[in-house]
Amino acid sequence: MANRQSIEYAKIKGVHDVPLEEFYTSGHRTCQGCESAATMRGFIKVAGPRTLVTGSTGCMYVANTSYMTTPWIVPWMHTQLGASGSSAIGMAAGLRALMRKGKIPDEEINTIAHCGDLGGGDMGLSAISGALQTDYDLLIIMNDNESAANTDIQATGLTTFGANTTFTPPGKRIHITQRRWKKNLAGMLAVGHPTCKYVATACATYPTLDYLRKVRRALAVGGPKFLHVYAPCPKGWDYHPRYSHDIGRMGVLSGLFPLFEILEGHVTYTHDARRQREPVEKFLMAQGRFAHLTKDDVRYIQKMVDEMWEEWDVPGVVPTKGSLKT
Amino acid sequence: MIRRVEINYRGVFQKRLAKKIGGDVVRIASQMGKVGFSNGRYSDAPERSGIPSKYFAFVSSDLSEEELEAECGAELDIDQADVSIVLDDTLVKGVEPWAWSGIRPINENLRDGGTLVVVTRRTHEDLLKHIPGKPRGWRLATYEGSQSFSGMWVFRDDFTHERTLGAIAAAAPDVMTIEAVEACLNNRHPNDPTRAEAARRAFDEVVEKMKTVVVGTGVESKEAAIVLPKWFEFGEGTVVAAVPRGFEMRPSGQSRNQQYKRGTTRSQRPIIRFDLCTKCALCWLECPDESFDPVPDGLYDVNYTYCVGCGKCAQVCPVQECIVMIDELEFDDESSPWETFSKDRHAYVTWAEDKKSLGRLIHSYVPGSADPQTVKGERIPPKHG
Amino acid sequence: MANERAPKAEAVWERRDLLTGCQAVAEAVRLADVDVIAAYPIRPYTEVMDAISKLIADGQLDAEYVIADSEHSQFEIVKHASSVNARTFAGSSGTGWCYGLEALVVTATDRLPVLYLVGNRALDDPGAFGVEHNDAMMVRDVGFLLCWVTTPQEALEHVLIGYRVAEDKGVQMPMAIAMDGAFLTHSQHMVDIPSLGTVRRYLRRYDLSKRRMHPDNPISIAPQVNEDWVMELRRQNWEAARSARTVIKEAYREFNGVFGDRYTNPFFTEFMTEDAETILIGLGTVAAPGRTAVTRLRAIGEKVGYVSMRWFRPFPTEELRACLGRFRSIGVIDRDFAHGSPDDGGILMEEVRSTLYPLDNRPVVVDFIAGLGGRDISISDCMAMFRLTQQAASQAGMDGFVKWIGLRE
Repeated sequence: MANRQSIEYAKIKGVHDVPLEEFYTSGHRTCQGCESAATMRGFIKVAGPRTLVTGSTGCMYVANTSYMTTPWIVPWMHTQLGASGSSAIGMAAGLRALMRKGKIPDEEINTIAHCGDLGGGDMGLSAISGALQTDYDLLIIMNDNESAANTDIQATGLTTFGANTTFTPPGKRIHITQRRWKKNLAGMLAVGHPTCKYVATACATYPTLDYLRKVRRALAVGGPKFLHVYAPCPKGWDYHPRYSHDIGRMGVLSGLFPLFEILEGHVTYTHDARRQREPVEKFLMAQGRFAHLTKDDVRYIQKMVDEMWEEWDVPGVVPTKGSLKT
Repeated sequence: MIRRVEINYRGVFQKRLAKKIGGDVVRIASQMGKVGFSNGRYSDAPERSGIPSKYFAFVSSDLSEEELEAECGAELDIDQADVSIVLDDTLVKGVEPWAWSGIRPINENLRDGGTLVVVTRRTHEDLLKHIPGKPRGWRLATYEGSQSFSGMWVFRDDFTHERTLGAIAAAAPDVMTIEAVEACLNNRHPNDPTRAEAARRAFDEVVEKMKTVVVGTGVESKEAAIVLPKWFEFGEGTVVAAVPRGFEMRPSGQSRNQQYKRGTTRSQRPIIRFDLCTKCALCWLECPDESFDPVPDGLYDVNYTYCVGCGKCAQVCPVQECIVMIDELEFDDESSPWETFSKDRHAYVTWAEDKKSLGRLIHSYVPGSADPQTVKGERIPPKHG
Repeated sequence: MANERAPKAEAVWERRDLLTGCQAVAEAVRLADVDVIAAYPIRPYTEVMDAISKLIADGQLDAEYVIADSEHSQFEIVKHASSVNARTFAGSSGTGWCYGLEALVVTATDRLPVLYLVGNRALDDPGAFGVEHNDAMMVRDVGFLLCWVTTPQEALEHVLIGYRVAEDKGVQMPMAIAMDGAFLTHSQHMVDIPSLGTVRRYLRRYDLSKRRMHPDNPISIAPQVNEDWVMELRRQNWEAARSARTVIKEAYREFNGVFGDRYTNPFFTEFMTEDAETILIGLGTVAAPGRTAVTRLRAIGEKVGYVSMRWFRPFPTEELRACLGRFRSIGVIDRDFAHGSPDDGGILMEEVRSTLYPLDNRPVVVDFIAGLGGRDISISDCMAMFRLTQQAASQAGMDGFVKWIGLRE
């Protein structure tokens, strides 16, 4: 019963192959230009109506269902901050048991758990790891807006080095207090869970359709899957909402956020920044959260990005250096 | 005696501005020997870019701080504002902060004889085309200025803060006097008299432009009172019904959350030249609010009841002048633009070009770093199709 | 199941076996045809999960058995499985139960009838394995059904009664069955095991109906709210907890009807209280030395009795008030602590005393903090407690007196 896919999805070759119908619809209390909302709209659009969704606490919980209403057309349930992995297991296990025992009709029902970077990348890591060890058909989508956005922008383990957040304000004595380097989350999960067939990164809307295709690919692969989605946040990153798509594009093209997918052990780069990278400065200077950075800070970030693409054994995925050469 | 100041602002963009103003009202009033406190409306938090929000300042010359707190602090909202400041003039079309509230009139919480003070470049008559009437008289005042939008980290220090203090002093001298405002600002900026001068100029302007709105003036308010279910009237286990599934290829053909129509988040709206559209679908695909409706001829209608005016569609549209963001106060209805276009293409294009000719704001990446530039677009002749 | 063609009357009790408290619960989980179980190890409750995994491996139970990465995940897994309409079981002990507390709280507010075994264990620090009731007490105020059982037989039966009550349409609350660690979780007793057919006659199928997560029933569960909603939501849950008392009585009536008259009072059992002047009251296995002490004191003519509390949430206010109001003095045995509480008594003492408050002639109540961290409570300890409670009846100023029993001092 496990690991099968009976929902037939057409290939998304072009924009006009994207289903027109919405299953996450207008009337949610998100920011203007919210890319995280775009990721929610996108995954359920391509997953379709035979899907159950859980949403971890965070911006995308509070914003989307406020207050005592819902923008969801498919069944949706809140889950706790650290519970995206366990909520997905719970739904999938429940459905599997009920179907096997003949208590509900046997059919494919997608189970998707959506979380933010605080919920997924920090607190919920253990539960996601647990989920990726199971054989349940489930998909965990971590929406990475690089902050605890719901509590008005605090640094998480996935915040870019140097960013201004309310936990990491630039000060008179210390001009950069966000000194932690962003967790390499998708890489960590891929490397750490050898039986997990699909781990990928995506950016909410750049390249066009890439994220939607990755959601479809994930749903078509059996077992547990993880998708790390880079979602620019006009509020916390401090840029005008109309530039949401552009900021994501700049982040990807600079190589700062690597785009790849790992399907049954094979790494494919969606944007191969080994060949071409835009300077990170352009991306950084388009956001108010980096307004306090000096030239030296920018150079440091550039150096770290260059190192990731030029020296890592598997750029963007495995930070060991040189082990393949010996 | 209690004096209540309400500050209506756009979430995130004007949060710091509103908080600074509210805080300074308390500081200045306390320097005048009064007591006061200031707070934001808690349900607005966490704030979302553009969503109408409120900040308050309460001042009294005879109550204790605790009595004032008991009178004003325990309430979620206020209903007796002496002065209601509107920091973005597009808010005069009404505000819908969250679900179940519906669109509330901007002057709903203004007391009889209270003053609505709008920072705007528009006339009273322009504004009153959007503001509902009230059963008793109230006052409308304006001072000239544009939206002072900032982001979380980079604040635009363009004197809107100081000028608003001057405006409040003009509308309600019993909250604080202009002299006290000037003294506070000069004290804070001993080498910069321009801030106090800006406050004084706004004060003078508001005194000059303050007019009583006679009963019967203003549009009709359509909004009903908010009715929430009793505890036994809704489902247990915090379960709510999903939005019913529904999609058809037509304007408003997609089912949407009927309890939260969030169009009042919008301070600009996208105007679409359907005749120039190449049907690339990017506006529809990229919209984070599901506000575009696919229609039978392959175009994408926009639903202004739900569009929040982020401008992302205009940004990703590959066709020059096809989608342009225009100030929301230029419009007074939310009907389907595609239907208007379909009925009379030529008239629609002419109308759209007229609206576009008013100029559009070009934003820098970081909102607080520079004023948006108003530029005239290129007039594109109708394309025949 | 085997042969379904013969509709002959099935015996109520299928077999008798030697089982620990944990194993008895596992048998009941099999009988209840639980769909999803989430396991994570912590002493002493773990044995129930050991036993369930073997039942599944042997083909006696068809269920999803998930090895969770933590108690938090364990409880989230069953919460979400319960929401898709699966009958679920989990459990924990001590600080493990506390680790998952967030998930337990939301299961209560989401009104999902998950059933848990709490193998009572002292809270860390330092690490200790022995019984103490504070772990289970963590959920007493948040909308849980909570009861204590005293024998493996009672444990088995209360899993069935527990699902019956928790899943009732008027209740739909999570249910914790607490069991004294070591004394009950690990001690083996002969247990009567009912037949599956009998259990099926008693226990209806779990159905969340319009609250279930399924594509055919599109709902949103637990959308964010502001100040406009929380009071009403709390009131709903308050009503459910209140009305659960009626459902509990129904559930025992039905149980007696199907399984034979096993219980006279659902909420607590009285022992030799009829003409008693002084009684002891406690939760869990302390009933054994307590009742034995009663027997011995009765033999020498003392008018004493024992009340063993079973249901703690909902608290049987009316019934217990009517019962306890008859006595002159009451000694409460608290296998828990409530540091800094009114009169510095334990949790049970506070609740018993406030239950008695409306009475015109209130019995004197004294409190015994006893058996913490698994310390023995012996018959002679209970005798001593009786003596002190008797003394309190005639000596002024003893109401609210707290005495630590078995303490080196």
